[in-house]
Amino acid sequence: MQKDHKRFNIDYILISIIIILAIISVLSLYTVQDYLTTNSPVLFYKQQIKWYIIGAIVTASVLILDYDRFRAIAWYLYGFGLLFVAGLYFLPFSIELGGARGWYQIPGLGVTVQPAEFMKIFLLIAVAHLITSHNEKRKEPRFVDDVWLLAKIAMLTIPAVILVAMQPDLGSAVVMLCIVGFLILVSGIRWRILLAIAGIVAAIIGAFVGIYLLFPDFVHDYLNDTVFGHVFTRLEAWFDPQQNAEQSGYQINKTLLAIGSGQLLGKGFMNIEVLGIPVRETDMIFSVIAEQAGFIGSSLVITLYFLLIYRIIHTALSCKDPFGSYLCTGVVGMITYQVIQNVGMSIKLLPISGLSLPFISYGGSSLIAYMIAIGLVLNVKSRIRTYMFDD
Amino acid sequence: MPKKSKTHLPLRLNILFFLIFIMFAFLIVQLGIVQILHGEAAQKEIERTEDTTTANPVPRGKMYDRYGRLLVDNKPLYSITYTPPKNVQPSEKLDLAEKLAQYIDKNTDKVTEWDKKDYWVMQNREEAYSRLTPEEQELSSKEQYYAVIEKVTDEDIKEINENKQVLEILAIKRELDQAPALTPHIIKNQNISEKEYAVVAEHLSELPGINVSTDWEREKVYGETFANFIGGISDHGDGIPREKVDYYLSRQYSRNDRVGESFLEEEYETVLKGQKELIEHVTDQSGKLIDSEVVREGKQGKSLKLTVDIELQEKVDKIIREEMKKIIDKYPRNKYLKDGLVVMSDPKTGEILAISGQRYDHEKHEFTDQSYRVVYDAHRPGSAVKGATVLAGYDSGVINIGSSFYDAPIKISQTPEKSSYITLGHVNDLEAIAKSSNVYMFYVALRMGGDYTNYRYAQNVPSKVKDSDKTLLELRNYFKQFGLGVETGVDLPYEATGYKGDSPNPGLLMDYAIGQYDTFTALQLNQYVSTIANGGYRIQPHLVKGIYNSSSDNGLNSLYKSIEPKVLNQIEMDEKYINRVQEGFRRVFQHPNGTADHVFNSKSYNPAGKTGTAQNEIYAPNAKGEIEKVADVENLTLVGYAPYDDPEVAFSVIVPNVGLESGDGINLQIGSRILDAYFDLKEERQKNGISINNEQENNEND
Repeated sequence: MQKDHKRFNIDYILISIIIILAIISVLSLYTVQDYLTTNSPVLFYKQQIKWYIIGAIVTASVLILDYDRFRAIAWYLYGFGLLFVAGLYFLPFSIELGGARGWYQIPGLGVTVQPAEFMKIFLLIAVAHLITSHNEKRKEPRFVDDVWLLAKIAMLTIPAVILVAMQPDLGSAVVMLCIVGFLILVSGIRWRILLAIAGIVAAIIGAFVGIYLLFPDFVHDYLNDTVFGHVFTRLEAWFDPQQNAEQSGYQINKTLLAIGSGQLLGKGFMNIEVLGIPVRETDMIFSVIAEQAGFIGSSLVITLYFLLIYRIIHTALSCKDPFGSYLCTGVVGMITYQVIQNVGMSIKLLPISGLSLPFISYGGSSLIAYMIAIGLVLNVKSRIRTYMFDD
Repeated sequence: MPKKSKTHLPLRLNILFFLIFIMFAFLIVQLGIVQILHGEAAQKEIERTEDTTTANPVPRGKMYDRYGRLLVDNKPLYSITYTPPKNVQPSEKLDLAEKLAQYIDKNTDKVTEWDKKDYWVMQNREEAYSRLTPEEQELSSKEQYYAVIEKVTDEDIKEINENKQVLEILAIKRELDQAPALTPHIIKNQNISEKEYAVVAEHLSELPGINVSTDWEREKVYGETFANFIGGISDHGDGIPREKVDYYLSRQYSRNDRVGESFLEEEYETVLKGQKELIEHVTDQSGKLIDSEVVREGKQGKSLKLTVDIELQEKVDKIIREEMKKIIDKYPRNKYLKDGLVVMSDPKTGEILAISGQRYDHEKHEFTDQSYRVVYDAHRPGSAVKGATVLAGYDSGVINIGSSFYDAPIKISQTPEKSSYITLGHVNDLEAIAKSSNVYMFYVALRMGGDYTNYRYAQNVPSKVKDSDKTLLELRNYFKQFGLGVETGVDLPYEATGYKGDSPNPGLLMDYAIGQYDTFTALQLNQYVSTIANGGYRIQPHLVKGIYNSSSDNGLNSLYKSIEPKVLNQIEMDEKYINRVQEGFRRVFQHPNGTADHVFNSKSYNPAGKTGTAQNEIYAPNAKGEIEKVADVENLTLVGYAPYDDPEVAFSVIVPNVGLESGDGINLQIGSRILDAYFDLKEERQKNGISINNEQENNEND
């Protein structure tokens, strides 16, 4: 067995996918600039190019360190992230936008930073590290070991999720849960336990839906003022967009018109007809692609995401080091959930929630967070040790 | 690395990958449903445009007198409206208000403190919000806004108060804010100068949602004169009258259309109205205007040329007032004398030349023009109708030309004694008319009822009239041939036909024969005398001579439709009978026996006619609220025409409720002066041509 230390694997396919997504992003933002509901002086496509350049540098810098070294600083990153998310409530420069307390404004630069985006990555690294360490110590994990592992993961995850959900940023909170969920799935915990957990979660969700459908008045009276009030408004709009046309349903109706009218082939580049869709440069960017590129173009974009995920899973599979695999799995969870949720809400498969479409939506924090995630995957890939006689 | 611990990973990753694959497959399927299955519908929804049609009013037709003098004009009323699209932002409205303020003046009285504070906050947003306490910053954005407004000090808005331009902007913004989405709201419609209108019209492209429009207001050039008969039109608030909604809606009117509500405006609504310009506006989903197209050209309403000679009308109005004033001043007990009613027409065509009713207000000591009373108010005419009675006598065969009776009081049992004003002795038919013998008429009526008794010798015997009902009906039918007791057919939406007495007995029958029973309007009397004047043709009186296409200037354009004289019926009597009555009428005016000879015999225009005096009573509630008779009065009437041999003007005069012995022949005075006025005007016009107030040449005179 001989290691080939000199070899530094670069996943060109992955990089190509990201470049294509970057191009789609910039073109989409360019075409939608004139049709935005807000008269922002910002030229979003130019800003996005800037963010991509910064993102590329961030990705490159993630590659400097061997991903193994992240294990050493995993706890520090997690602590740092948690501090900044919590710090939104007491640190200076924190600001509220659109009713959510989720940003820091960096003085002088006019740039806002959304710590929740980075928290996703830090949580991912911490949980991956936790699972790896746990499994390293136990060659033959017993049932109690699995439960203990779950408990530890929960202890890491719950504070982060709650802090983010309180902002409120339920979207990011669910992304975190999804990342952790994917990691739990591949962590080696017994199927029985996993199925039991899945059953419990399903029961809780079912109970909530049941309460909502059976006692809508109760929901309105007691939950509207809580974090859930926001959730129910979204749900109502999803169930019945016509009824709620003047409020939340307006956005989904317009979006459906835009996407639907793209039909099979789309209206062509620079042809946008449906006006007045709010946040089209971020959450509703998919409608820009679907309207212009039609079913063929937009399903190609979805396929591109699928390829990206396939590529990351491929890396996870070919990596012989569990930590590397876990990192990749976490990234898969992060991307999968956001793509499904974002596209799903645009086509009324899922209720509306403020989540960006990875790599395409305008937004510095989220793009850089994703570029870090891609950096992690490239890092893992680049350091895959190929054993000469390994099959 | 121990192999065992890792074996689960590929399997679970593959399971995960499979799950992801399923989820993505769902995405693609749903995307297919949205884009392919429902795509076409979505596209249709986007392309679904809304067509809204607006109808721009066109000017209503004008009215001119018979010589083309403008009577009713249209005064343009400009208005500036705002039709907001959906989802318009407050800042956009402010922009609009700022632009508009440059072009129009706006009264700033309605601007409130709140408006000013709100404006200050919009202008100084950062400073305003920085005043919030940390607790207030936790409030919802709406509550924060209220808190911010409250913190605006008088000092802050002091500058706004001093800046008239800003106040105007606020006044305009206030109006803009009140406009509901997609509905035109009037920003300004009073005192818009032509310059403001033009400037706004010119800059419409930079004023989204703003529009300018013109509406018209009726202007009666001669003020009160003839105004009653012109009538009125409804305003936009009232729209079409409720009781005729179906009628108008079925004729493509819209509910807020202005329509003629009375008299000529109502009668000729369909021609005066014109055709509104229809513009179809096509808007897309977002309310953006895509296209505007004129789908129907507007047509200005047609103009009316009336039969009225406004110059004569003015003179007639004046004569009535002067004569009434004269005797009211002379006999202060004339407190029930309120009205003077006159109709002058061309007996050969039915064209009404002047139609006037003047009312005196005894408390305010002033006259108002209440000309409608000529058509609405009916009075007992007295002897003026005797021409019809005599003709009825001829036609029914109870008298013949030259028949004479002995005029002395008649006393039928159970009926008060009836007589002429003095005992006239032997009178033939001509003398009966000239001297206004009542007794002659009584004999005609009684004979028509089958009572041939000579009451000169039979005192206090019962009448032999068998069926008073039937005889009254017969007499009324004769009167109706002259227009007495039926509609004259005048081109107005309403006319009264008078009151018909019931339960007749021979006494009342006799009263009817001398015009002391049923009541008639001045217009009916005019039709009656015209029928006698023109030799037996009952002609429909009319106020409109012709309908003309509208022109842009003040004159009449080409003739669209001429209103021809319409004969309603021809008197069934022999021409010689009519000639006989005409001669009787001539004698009234031009024979020493005639009751009006002292006034008319000097006239050069050869007049003929019949006087009338009807006894009347005034009833009024007393202190206890019971109705009781308070006075005996007389209706003084006069009908006539001139010249006798070729009549060109016929007239009727009614002066109701003149005090007994205090009329001074006001009916004769009015009658002679209006005829004088007519012939003076004619003579003057033959010399100098017709004086026409408006500049336009008019060749339509006839």
